[in-house]
Amino acid sequence: MAAPTEGLVPGVLEPAVVAPPPGEEGRLGRLRVLGGIWLPALLVAAIFFLCFVWPIIGPVPSPTGGSILNSNDPSFTPGHLFGTDATGNDEWSRLLYGGRASLEVALAVTAVGLIVGGTLGAFAGYVGGWRDGVIMRALDVLIAFPALVLAVAIAERLGPGELHAIWALSFFSVPAFGRLARAATLRVREQNFIAAARLSGTGHVRTLLRHVVPNILPELITFALLGMGIIIVLEGALSFLGLGIPPPAPSWGNMIAQGEGILSAQPKFVLLPSAALFITVVSFNLLGESMRARWTAR
Amino acid sequence: MSSTASAPLSASPRRASTGALTRVVRSPLLRFVGRRLLVAIPVLWGVTFLTFVVINHLPGNAAQQLLGVNATPQEVHQLAVKLGVDKPLLSQYGTWLSHLVQGDLGHSLASGQSVTSILGTDLPITFELIAYAFLISLGLAIPIALVAARRPNGIFDRTSMVFSMAGLSIANYILALILVYFFAVKLNWLPALGWVPPNKGLATNIKYLTLPAISVALSLMCFYTRQLRADLVQQLRTEDYVTTARAKGVGEWRVIRHHALRNSAFGLITAVALNLGTLLGVTVIIEQIFGLPGIGHELLSAINSRDLPVVEGAVFVFALIVVLANLLADLLYAALDPRVKYGSTN
Amino acid sequence: MTAPLLELDDLRVDFRQSGHVVRAVDGLSYQADKARTLALIGESGSGKTVSARAIMALLPETARVTGSIRYEGTELVGLSERRMRALRGNQIAMVFQDPARSLNPTLRIGAQITEAIHIHRQVSKAEAHDRAVELMELVRLPAARERFRQYPHQLSGGMRQRVMIAIALAGDPRLLIADEATTALDVTTQAQIMELLRDLQERLGMALIMISHDLGLAASYADEVLVMYAGRAVERAATQTLFGHVRMPYTRALLGAIPRLENAPHTTLAAVPGQPPDLATQPPGCPFAPRCPEVTDKCRETAPPLAEQEPGHLWACWHPCGLEDSAAEEVAV
Repeated sequence: MAAPTEGLVPGVLEPAVVAPPPGEEGRLGRLRVLGGIWLPALLVAAIFFLCFVWPIIGPVPSPTGGSILNSNDPSFTPGHLFGTDATGNDEWSRLLYGGRASLEVALAVTAVGLIVGGTLGAFAGYVGGWRDGVIMRALDVLIAFPALVLAVAIAERLGPGELHAIWALSFFSVPAFGRLARAATLRVREQNFIAAARLSGTGHVRTLLRHVVPNILPELITFALLGMGIIIVLEGALSFLGLGIPPPAPSWGNMIAQGEGILSAQPKFVLLPSAALFITVVSFNLLGESMRARWTAR
Repeated sequence: MSSTASAPLSASPRRASTGALTRVVRSPLLRFVGRRLLVAIPVLWGVTFLTFVVINHLPGNAAQQLLGVNATPQEVHQLAVKLGVDKPLLSQYGTWLSHLVQGDLGHSLASGQSVTSILGTDLPITFELIAYAFLISLGLAIPIALVAARRPNGIFDRTSMVFSMAGLSIANYILALILVYFFAVKLNWLPALGWVPPNKGLATNIKYLTLPAISVALSLMCFYTRQLRADLVQQLRTEDYVTTARAKGVGEWRVIRHHALRNSAFGLITAVALNLGTLLGVTVIIEQIFGLPGIGHELLSAINSRDLPVVEGAVFVFALIVVLANLLADLLYAALDPRVKYGSTN
Repeated sequence: MTAPLLELDDLRVDFRQSGHVVRAVDGLSYQADKARTLALIGESGSGKTVSARAIMALLPETARVTGSIRYEGTELVGLSERRMRALRGNQIAMVFQDPARSLNPTLRIGAQITEAIHIHRQVSKAEAHDRAVELMELVRLPAARERFRQYPHQLSGGMRQRVMIAIALAGDPRLLIADEATTALDVTTQAQIMELLRDLQERLGMALIMISHDLGLAASYADEVLVMYAGRAVERAATQTLFGHVRMPYTRALLGAIPRLENAPHTTLAAVPGQPPDLATQPPGCPFAPRCPEVTDKCRETAPPLAEQEPGHLWACWHPCGLEDSAAEEVAV
């Protein structure tokens, strides 16, 4: 719970007091770093490539508008790597396009959370006082609000869709980022270099931008990476309940929902999007965790 | 710098006529709780008001939903007046609020049943599910984390970290489907759907809850395992009291169990209490998949039928639980950390 | 002459830090005897704490210990963890620097003392309780019985340190290592604790190794002083001898750095110039060369060995103080 003893003369180590993380020696350590950051980063890049770029440049058929004559082709039919679904749509294509939809939602929601929530939280943490209280209470309301009600409401009122899913999920991410940003800002604010900056005449805005933001950014980015996984799962849940992206446009969530009924007969319709979801979430989680390990091991 | 024996919580000068009540009211603990509850009120108000607004903006109203598509506008209007849903928004909210402070949550527009009794039937089911899930997740997470922390970066540690990372990444509804596929359909060990109340057989009741509870518990367990293990390892590596304990000759197991675990408990408790709030949202989808008549399920159908009192009642309870869970986390922290409980005397 | 209780012989401790090796202790040798106090003096990073932890095998996994540490004839380097644990607290005990963090904040101090008792002895709870109170009274902790049930944060720094000493004494150790035990305390309390340690040593006949950066403390309480720099011993002698005839320029600089009341106000503090060495990159030659006022090329090329140049007085220097001049420099402490 407490930080290790300070008071180390620069350049000299009192290793018995500040124990270094073991296992970081030599080749083994480097291997760890490789697995830790580069592998998941590569995976994430590959996923993005497959979902966003490949359908444009590669031989990927349209995910919708298949002919019923082609329905339920098994895997490895020529032209259809994973076969086709009940209405004749190529499963592989549905996976890719579905991934694109899910990732778009996740990116948008994370961006909104980071920008809106992060700003609000940093502001609240920095200024304190009644403004802090008001902002925090507002965020608390959003957190306590069952997002489901909101999601259902939005879906019912405006019809399900990608944009509306983004709306609904942003109500989640903004308070989450807000809280984190505020807590991080509070911690940074107490540090001496902030006082030093203010004492030397730096204005509030400049202090915020030049000193606070760079110091809370690593934490926010780590949270964003870990949050990507959570949001993708949530979007899947929404689509699963019929509140997110509506069929026939594919999303991993609604693909799973559609496959649920024929789970025993043809498990691949559930397993394929589930596997895709799993791999994506794992990659983001790994990336986020290793970023966190790097940035807090100082 | 001498310390006083544990002084009574009240710090004010003693007057002969100070009664027990005054002392209780002055107790910092109660003041703390009171303050938090006071702050929670605007939050609760905000949530319920927001819900009202949102539901009322949905197309259709309760009367319409109840009578169906073929009803004539007059019939709908008649029912609407009878149900009171034709009044303006603020007036409806005001009425609801005034009943709330008297403890009356109203009646379902669909069934006429009192909301309190509906909640009373549904909440225990959801609670049982959540309790079961916590039991599984903590019951496994704590021992695993302890063993992992015993040899950091050893085989067990690395393996459990890999598995817990995987477990964290599985969406609980996907897990639910997979569990159903294997254990209910293929192996037929556990039922896939439905609910049996405890008074009709505790064992059956638990059987029906097992797959749902596991679906919820897996990601929780993975999260707690990672959190506790990280906390323990950090304690063992950096805290001075650990060195003291080792210098006494205390064996490593005891250092972990008796010394480090106590200090790591705080982080875990906070995580659990905070999860309590978010779990309520999770149960909605799980109850849907497994056909459990809990509060999540109720909420979903109430939204669909625009049954405002039920929705409001459920939302209110949800929000209340979230607030109370946060409060509980703080209270537990205060109760368990001797520094907070006994106060500093320096 | 009786065999020494503890004997270090060419102790080396290396740490593997992300690729490179840091040698924290470089060939340390000394002896500790019963009922005698040895002071290990040095700046931060001189290796004094690391060497002490090496005795108790309390170093992190990245440490590699070579050389010999013999306690009552038993070789401690490479000893199995089980046997080491039997010694810890029982025969060799340690008191640490920061009592605020060295005690478990979530356990009552009575429990922390009785734990030390239970580990090494088969006694009932009541017996352990009584023994703990006895120990608390031995270390002059006021209101021992009441304090038993208190938590560390309810005690002042001085009292916590007494608790630490009580814990250390619980197993009747024959060797007590006090690692900067009074550094975190105010001067008055510091004196009280040192007096307590000295008193206990007389009563119990323990060997005491006191680790500090405070030469004044060493002068007042130690029988023998060993000055460390960059992981090596650079001067060692009985207290009177050392302070009477300081030989190592480093030791002299340390003495000179102590502020004195006799100096006129606003006299510049004679701090030791330069920085302590980076243990990862050790150039050949004397480690103190970059900062030494007496340095010559010979110092930079070859490291002087620690040798007994005068009876009972060892030092490692090519140009020790006070020998070139005809009159020996008397340094008043």
